[in-house]
Amino acid sequence: MSENPNKNSESITAQVESESGLPDIGTGDENPMEWNEPANNRKKPEDRESINRPVEKYDARKIVTGEAKYTGDFRRQFPDLAEAAVVRSDIAHGQVTNIDTSAAEEMEGVYAILTPDSDVVPDSVYTSAGQGYPEPTPWDLRVLREKVRMVGDPIAAVAATDSQTADRAARKIDVEYEELDPILDYRVAMDPESPQIHDSDEIENKQPGANYENNRQSSFEGEIGDVTEATDSSEHVLETEWETPYQSHCVPEPHTTIARRDEDNRYHLITSTQVPYHTRRQLSHLFDIPIRDIRVEKPRIGAGFGSKQAMVIEPITLALSIAADRPVIYETTRKEQFYAIRSRHPMQIRMKTAVSDEGALEAMEMDVLSNTGAYGPHGMTVAGNVGTKPLPLYPNVDNVRFAGDIVHTNLPIAAAQRGYGAPQGHFAVESHMDEVARDLGMDPIEFRQQNHVREGDLDEIAAILGDDEKHARRIRSCGLDECIQRGREAVGYDDVDQPDDPNQNRGIGVALVGQGSGVAGAELGAAHIKMNEDGTFILQVGGVDTGTGTDTMVSQIASEVLGCAPGDIVVHSSDTDISPFDYGAYASSTTYITGQSVKKAAENAKERVLTWAAGMLETSPDRLSVGGGDVTDEQSGDHVSLEEIGYESMYGEDEREHIMGEASHSTDESPPPFGAQFVDVTVNDQTGEFDINQLVFAADLGVAINPPLAEGQIEGGQSMSLELATGAGYEFTDTGVPKTISYKQYGMPRSTDHPPMETILVETHEPTGPFGAKSIAELPTNGVPPALSNAIRDAVGIRISTLPITAEKISAALNQLD
Amino acid sequence: MEMELTINGHKRSLKFARGDSLLDLLRRYGYTGAKRGCDTGDCGYCTVIVDGEAVQSCVTPTKTVEGARVETIESLGTQDDLHPVQEAFVDNSALQCGFCIPGMIMNTTAALRENPDPSKVEARKAIEPVLCRCTGHKKPVEAVMDAAERLESSTGLSRGSEENIVEATDIGSKGATDE
Repeated sequence: MSENPNKNSESITAQVESESGLPDIGTGDENPMEWNEPANNRKKPEDRESINRPVEKYDARKIVTGEAKYTGDFRRQFPDLAEAAVVRSDIAHGQVTNIDTSAAEEMEGVYAILTPDSDVVPDSVYTSAGQGYPEPTPWDLRVLREKVRMVGDPIAAVAATDSQTADRAARKIDVEYEELDPILDYRVAMDPESPQIHDSDEIENKQPGANYENNRQSSFEGEIGDVTEATDSSEHVLETEWETPYQSHCVPEPHTTIARRDEDNRYHLITSTQVPYHTRRQLSHLFDIPIRDIRVEKPRIGAGFGSKQAMVIEPITLALSIAADRPVIYETTRKEQFYAIRSRHPMQIRMKTAVSDEGALEAMEMDVLSNTGAYGPHGMTVAGNVGTKPLPLYPNVDNVRFAGDIVHTNLPIAAAQRGYGAPQGHFAVESHMDEVARDLGMDPIEFRQQNHVREGDLDEIAAILGDDEKHARRIRSCGLDECIQRGREAVGYDDVDQPDDPNQNRGIGVALVGQGSGVAGAELGAAHIKMNEDGTFILQVGGVDTGTGTDTMVSQIASEVLGCAPGDIVVHSSDTDISPFDYGAYASSTTYITGQSVKKAAENAKERVLTWAAGMLETSPDRLSVGGGDVTDEQSGDHVSLEEIGYESMYGEDEREHIMGEASHSTDESPPPFGAQFVDVTVNDQTGEFDINQLVFAADLGVAINPPLAEGQIEGGQSMSLELATGAGYEFTDTGVPKTISYKQYGMPRSTDHPPMETILVETHEPTGPFGAKSIAELPTNGVPPALSNAIRDAVGIRISTLPITAEKISAALNQLD
Repeated sequence: MEMELTINGHKRSLKFARGDSLLDLLRRYGYTGAKRGCDTGDCGYCTVIVDGEAVQSCVTPTKTVEGARVETIESLGTQDDLHPVQEAFVDNSALQCGFCIPGMIMNTTAALRENPDPSKVEARKAIEPVLCRCTGHKKPVEAVMDAAERLESSTGLSRGSEENIVEATDIGSKGATDE
């Protein structure tokens, strides 16, 4: 496994080493505006039967009755189920010198105790990052660890008859350490005098730029044009610096896994994951079990937000179930969620631009320093998105440079989190652009309108890192102008009433946002659909509904194609034994990738439906259309119902066939959805206290397959974005012990902390997406930090450049102004 | 140890262990609608109604509910015949992953019994104990307002009112069995 070269690595290395000139990112000819779109992909609003309709969420009724089953709800299916507990490091950096399990072993009801030396614990390194193979992430984790690099590193594990016994046994395991100096500030991680966290020899699948002697997990650099020349010759050069903190996913359902050996002597996992197929492959490699002997089943999951785009607790649970020879459940605690699972990367970002007198952007430069924490899952790819998601908002800038370093500290592991680097990047880019506009004396919206992306543009910045899997993108749909216009009207940008109290100052800030729809050139979704006698269908997809409404969306796409009601599509997802392959739910890919595979599969089934209908109606298939549960001859008006076709195809006298369709979808395209975030704020210029009066978000997501569910994505995304903007992040002691280990300490916003929100869906048509759809899930996590910083700048003239934005920081900045 | 209490209108005698929270007890006996999100009383996913009051069952010691009347999400409607509060959450698309929703619905149900005609601020307050990560709370607040209207227009049926709880529990106790 270690010999497998990484495609991303090679291409990025090539780019880093190429000093000679422009990166090879393709010419416009390779990215034509024209797209060979099937005629049936574009439906006028009045012709839509299932898509773009507020279809009831597929799982809504079982959720509101409490019958929806999440992993922890399967306990009663396994009477001999053991409960797990994990002994975690309580120091930030050190070497385990002794593990005394004797007291725990003597306890009644303890079935298994594992330490790093146990036979069933794999000795090899792996990554938890749920990505394609081989992962663009170093393999730097071990299931149980003797060298500990953060508080929370798993050292030993227990399976016992109930959770109290497991917890008591875990507490009786005594661990001795030889402590090492920790690195608690990522800004000094690469200093020569900083202690070294990882031994390079123990890491496989290293990424470009890795320099473990200096605690660097990876680095990258890409350039278009010549930024130095452009900034040297410009009169308007602005350089700014931005900082963002840790953010917890606060995933409602803590990571939970059940592992067991089934009656076929195979390993069956029920687990709360966004990536069942990646997890199956990674478990197979790690435990040296054939893929065919592992089944990963995802029931309902209590959301993911990226924390479950990872194989975090599955290996420990599987090892325990092998050792205990019985089913084991490991349900993590909220405390573990905060300090031992995954978080958003803290970052420091430097922005520099050159702009003409008239406000045309001439150069953009971005440098990012990202703290990946003790280990590096998703480290390089998240940092890459910091630039490649927001900078393409301005794709016509001739000179662009983007570079990054990803460094280790002895702090919690940062990994994938909704937005995947784009929220940090947007804070830097969109706050910076606001300053550029103000420096020029221009209205911030006007400045953006002069420079922002439009339909027809060729976005080469998305490919600036020379990753040959991510091509330059032709922008075939862009509704930013309408997003700005409608958002501006909704928030009242042009008519801001100031409060009567002279100390209260109202301001409005805007930020443009972009994302992607899947990982360009690194996705695969597949679907299978089969007809029942009564004209209904069973649709199987590997795409994972994390709560977003995937199952509903795919039922709408399939029913639109087949002319039946969405409720006539039974959706099964996701079980690696049954569902077709899918990369999983991440990178805003599901509607665009999985949805397109469903559309193709349904079209394949439809072709067979029409063939049968033509036989029954004694006509030819090309005269037939579907709708309302019937197939109709458009010329004669004769029709036959899907139910009649279902029975005839299965029980007919002469011929019989099970009508089915199946398809895969992969693509090099990843069209960005766009949006405009507005924040209306009132700031007290004496105290720095501020109230957010309203959040307005206008989104161009192509055609919304299910408008209310899309709105829900936008509102929930803004909520996470609001928390990044104003939340407290994590606190640590001076030895690196996390102090933020509960919801109370973290202060996640409650219903009463949320300002009113207005959500606007702007329809465009993306020719490469199913029925014109693009993504929506991550886009709205990007806007509140910059838009709030800009609103405060608008209200009281000061700039907050580090998150969180607090009254104390505003007050301090106001005092400096005086 | 064993004690009696009324769950969803049914008198039950349940075994419990020292240190069990009400949530531990309920989930062990199959009332798995209440979810475990924090064990510190912060997230509200485990909310049930005890003697008319919404409580976080994860921080409610089992012994304190001896003889009490406990209502869980299972006491409300069925998938084919939803309770008005459940209907409101479905029809307002006020749910995503659903993990917090039983807590949302139980808090809403208790709050609307106290105050059947909430203002928007009061509706926001009604679900304050529940930390929803998915929705941004906008649609849930709309669902609370809508639920109030639905309950008002169905007052003839008195759904969700105290005296009808027993009737509803025949359905509500479905799936919940003795350990």
